[in-house]
Amino acid sequence: MEKLKLLIIQPQKIFLETEFDDIIIPGKDGDFGVFYGHTPFISVIRPGILEIYNNSEVTKCAIHDGYVTVENNIVTILCEVVEKADEIDKTRAEAAKERAEKRIKSNQDEVDFRRAEIALRKAIARIAIS
Amino acid sequence: MGNIRDIKSRIGSIRNTRQITNAMKMVAAAKLRKAQQGIIKARPYADNINHMLATIKFKSRETDLKIFVQPEPTAKCALVVVTADRGLCGSFNSFVIKAALQYLKDHPNTDLFCIGKKGTDIFKKKDVKIIKSYTGLFNEMNFSVSLDIASDLKHHFFSNEYDHIEVIYNEFKSVIQQNIVQKQVLPIPDIKVLEGVSLLDYLYEPGEEEVIEELTNKYINVEIWRILLESSAAEQGTRMTAMDSATDNASDLIESLTLQYNMVRQAAITNEIIEIASGAEAQNQ
Repeated sequence: MEKLKLLIIQPQKIFLETEFDDIIIPGKDGDFGVFYGHTPFISVIRPGILEIYNNSEVTKCAIHDGYVTVENNIVTILCEVVEKADEIDKTRAEAAKERAEKRIKSNQDEVDFRRAEIALRKAIARIAIS
Repeated sequence: MGNIRDIKSRIGSIRNTRQITNAMKMVAAAKLRKAQQGIIKARPYADNINHMLATIKFKSRETDLKIFVQPEPTAKCALVVVTADRGLCGSFNSFVIKAALQYLKDHPNTDLFCIGKKGTDIFKKKDVKIIKSYTGLFNEMNFSVSLDIASDLKHHFFSNEYDHIEVIYNEFKSVIQQNIVQKQVLPIPDIKVLEGVSLLDYLYEPGEEEVIEELTNKYINVEIWRILLESSAAEQGTRMTAMDSATDNASDLIESLTLQYNMVRQAAITNEIIEIASGAEAQNQ
């Protein structure tokens, strides 16, 4: 199978540059996969887990935001926060999860609620892969 | 000619000053290197976003969005001035403040936002009203510091408080050259599409508007981040050259004072010898 190229770019650095067979990306409207020959495509990313399959290896990253473009079998992800499993502080993530849950339960106005929901998603993604 | 002890203590104090300026020069050089690396590392991200925005703007049907509509010359403006937190960096702060005051004079319908302690202090002294000031950002330069500023500016812009947002800052050219630059951050200025770049038709998910919104968000964040990095590099560059010439001056001063010290000392010795000699002469007679 032919390989695709992946570039994950952060404002501070290039996070990852690699080749892969298949990738699962948490899009705003749901997770989607990209194989070789995908049509040109832009999507916004929601907080979740990014899974990169290469040969039989899987790399998982927690991603918080950003957008992805697919063009000529090059997948480019631009995001501000993305972490590999060994970079995550699990206790901090768990504390953040509790905080977010409390905020959701206290049922404040809509803006706060949405923010808490995003924070909760981020925390869950972090905990899931760490 | 001064007292021999005075000269000696002056030499001592100048030597101390030279040590400090020299140390500051070294520190500035190290920080400059860090800021320069930051600029280089931010480039792929910023270039990519600019390219995407250019592509989308070229293809988009949503050209009447606020972020794409260029403002009238008399429109309400938010001016962000980027200064340093510390002094001792030559003309770095004074030039950018001068440029800002000129802009305020030419565009009365403008509110001022200030980054950096020096600028905040000076504008306060001059009784210029500051809407918000951000200080102490440059000690610990990381991406999150730019997010606060960016989110404030976005809020002001999208709530229609301001029609455009301008930033005046020092752009880093080289260690000895910094340019004062005025840049429109919002609405997004006309971006040139790089030559040889494919303008493909993309599928948008969820929708074109959401994608543009997310892109705009990211664009402002990274734009502010880049400006902070540029300004920080320029600051360290000017500080380095300022401290370098201060160290040189101190060395020159020490040299000439040492010469003076030796002359005074010599004169004192000659005097003493003359006294002894004439005393002995008097006794002989």
